[in-house]
Order: sequence, then structure tokens, then C-alpha cells
Amino acid sequence: MNTKVLNRSLFATLTAAALTTGSPALADGISAGTLIENTATATYDDGTGVQTVDSNTVVVRVDELLAVTVTSLDPGPISAGPGEAVLTFEIINQGNGPEAFELTANPAVAGNDFDTTIESIAVDTNGNGTFDPGVDVILTRPETTDVLQADESLTVFVIVTVPAGASDTDESDVELTASAVTGTGAPGTTFAGAGADGGDAIVGTGGAEDSAIGSLIVGITDVELTKSAAVIDPFGGTSVVPGSVVTFTISAAIVGSGSVDNLTVTDAIPDDTTYVPGTLALNGAPLTDATDTDVGEASDATGISVDLGTVAGGTTQAITFDVTID
Amino acid sequence: MTKLTKIVAAALVAALPVVPVTAQEATAPTEAAEPNVSLQSDVKAYKETTDADGNVSSELVEPTVFTPGTRLSFGLSYENKGNSPATDVTATNPLHEAVQLAPDADPALIVSVDGGTTFGILADLQVADETGATRPATHDDVTHVRWTIAAIAPGESGRVAFPVIIR
Repeated sequence: MNTKVLNRSLFATLTAAALTTGSPALADGISAGTLIENTATATYDDGTGVQTVDSNTVVVRVDELLAVTVTSLDPGPISAGPGEAVLTFEIINQGNGPEAFELTANPAVAGNDFDTTIESIAVDTNGNGTFDPGVDVILTRPETTDVLQADESLTVFVIVTVPAGASDTDESDVELTASAVTGTGAPGTTFAGAGADGGDAIVGTGGAEDSAIGSLIVGITDVELTKSAAVIDPFGGTSVVPGSVVTFTISAAIVGSGSVDNLTVTDAIPDDTTYVPGTLALNGAPLTDATDTDVGEASDATGISVDLGTVAGGTTQAITFDVTID
Repeated sequence: MTKLTKIVAAALVAALPVVPVTAQEATAPTEAAEPNVSLQSDVKAYKETTDADGNVSSELVEPTVFTPGTRLSFGLSYENKGNSPATDVTATNPLHEAVQLAPDADPALIVSVDGGTTFGILADLQVADETGATRPATHDDVTHVRWTIAAIAPGESGRVAFPVIIR
């Protein structure tokens, strides 16, 4: 036998093996506990006919690979004011056997403008991707998921409180870590007998734990209302006399980096005046008086109401209407 | 006999042997001349060690880890315990569905990609996809591995092996 050739063959094998070791764990790997049986059969001629012989059967059991990924499902920093905020994460069992994961939320991430307070970690029990208080189960300490099957994913929510002292545009990160309950450690660490069906559990390349960051940005938004009046009397002047027309302007300035929801501006018609039908307008565009599909309604009895809905910070909305002095 | 030795040696080099082959001349038959071939399957792991100079070497060791992605060596040791040659020896090893032939397996290895119906070297084999079109077979398609040995002399033994990766 040529030793040189053999050595070269071994070296080629090695190079390939090193590459294999460096590849990531297969999320769709064969299930832990699977028994791999190997038997060879040979036929040969013994001079009188064909003989068949079987080898022994070698059986190996596939070990459980411990691997997990955590990702933030938030599309970007969550806009939040002081009070409760919810961050959304996804846990995926990247191993090849059933495993539960302990969850740890860390509010003190380097670079934070402020730190939130972790209130709880909840599981998306109804699977709708949105935290539903009273429906989605809040985990008790130590916060641990149910057993996830291989490749199974789970959406979890980290509920935090933003402190009252947080300033507009301040940012804060929260780090969620998931660790295999069987154990974590350096890749290749073996937990004998701790895998599926009594096999070993082996720590995967990721150390059997993973973390992801969810971000918050504080958006404190205020609405400042300013009301002004302009008078035109029946004689072309500005005297306040019976028959004079008063144009009221309500200016709603939205101040801050966030936005306000469900903003409705209402005003009563002052005593001793009468609303001039058809004069309600938003930013110069007329609104009907009737309660209908447009955002405004007005009457002498109930006053005016304009539903501005969600309004972004940094904008100003002007509402105008006329009354006559009785 | 020269031809036989050459074939056995070739098979060994191709198959990453650990047991040196001992080709002996056939001894004169004393009683009824008959071969008696025995087979012994084994599974080994590749253990890599790096010395102080950074040189990596590999050896086959008893396997301890069986996770997806792990590389193993499936071996077959043979020995003719009889007193006459066994000829036209064909050893066939079906692959369990949980493993695939490793991409660095010897290109000259005889394999099947159709459940053991036809055999050849991988580069010559085709498989049909869902649409009925054929494509070149890959290591992932291999269902059986086969070795052929023209003759095994009495007392002769050897080991052949192929690398697999747990899916």
C-alpha cells in the first residue's frame, strides 16, 4: 500500500470535514431519537454456487441537538409614551427534538437613553400576533415556554413600563434571551441521556441559546388648542352688534414626535348667537352640517364637532365656523 | 494473484482503510475446500487534532456524537475464514434514510440512486424529478453503496468504508 496516497486521501477528507463542522445546524435535521441501522450484505461464489452473507447490524441513535433562535417581530422601534408598552418576539426551536426554553428579558442594554421596567413575559396563546390581556397567558418565574417540537415557533410578548421621566424621542432597547432548559454551554457540550428517547443532548453551534433586541422610542405628543374670532358687522365694520357675523377659528396644533389618536374637537355655540348653517370648514374645506360620512357636524343646539382621527405630531389643523349675533 | 492484490489495494485506498490488508497465498486445501466469508459492520467518527504547528490530522475513533450534520464513517470489514478463495464478491450496503452519502465520498464508489436496482459511479447516474425530467444524481440521492472484489483469498481480510452525514 502506498502510504503517501493514503495520507493525501485522509487530508482531503479532513478538509471536507472541517467545512462540514463550520456549517450551521440544520433546522430540519433528522429527529432526535431516530435509530439509524446499518447492515451490509455480500454475495460470493464458493465454487458450488452463490452464497449470501449478512453483516451484523450497527445501530446508532440520533442525539438531540439543542438550538434556538430569537428574533424581534416588531417592524421597528415601538412608539410608546410613559406607561405600558409591548415588544413582540419569536422563539424557534432550531434543534431536532422537543425542548422548552427559559426566557429572560433584560431592560438594561448598553446605549439606552433610559431603562424600562420589565412587567411580564406573555405567550401569544391565541396565536393572533397581538398581546391580548386576559387571553394571552403570562408566564410565571422562571419564565419558561412549553415544550416546542423541532422547528416549532412561538410568539411571545415582553410587557414593559416606560418611566414617567422619559423624554420625547428617547430610545430604549430590551433584550430577550431564550436558553434551552436541558442546558447551554460551549457548542458540543454533551448532556448524557438528556435527549429525546434517552439519547444524549448536544449543544449546537449557537450555544443552545439566543437573544434578540426589541426597541422603544418615546413619543410624547400634546394638542394645543387656540381659539380666535373675527367680526364683521352689517355695516362693513367690526362692531359687535346684533346681526354681526363672528368667524371663529379653532387651531389644533399637535406638538411632539408621536401622533395622537381619536382626536375630536368640539365647541358649543355661544349664548345669544346663532350658528350660520353650512359654514363649518376644516383647513378651508367645507364640511356638511349633517351627521354623515364626512368628519364634521354642526347645529345650533349641539355646537360643532370635528373628528380628526389620528393626527401626526408637527401638524396644525384649522377648524372654522360662523355665528350671527342675535 | 497479482491482479487480486492490486484490486484489493485499490479498493482500500479508495475507501479510507484503517486495517491494513494482508494478502496471503492460498494454503493447500486439507479437507473440503470451501470459502467462508464473514462481514463485520462498524461506525466510526472522525476525530481531528491540531498540533502545535497548526497541522490538522484526522483519525477514526469510536463515535460519541450523533447529531444532524455529524460526519461518520460506515465501515465493512471482511475476512475469508475458509480455505479456498471466494470469487465474484459483491457487498451491498443500503443507506438508512437518516443519513446521506458525504459529498467528499470517493467519486469511484459504486452506488445506486434507485433503491438498489441499478448501480454505477455517481457521475453516470440520473434521477427523475417530479415532472419526469431527469437530472444528474447527487450524493443526496444515493440509496445503496456497493463494493465488488474479484476474489478474496483464504485468510485475507480488509476493510472498506464510506463517509456519511446525518441528515
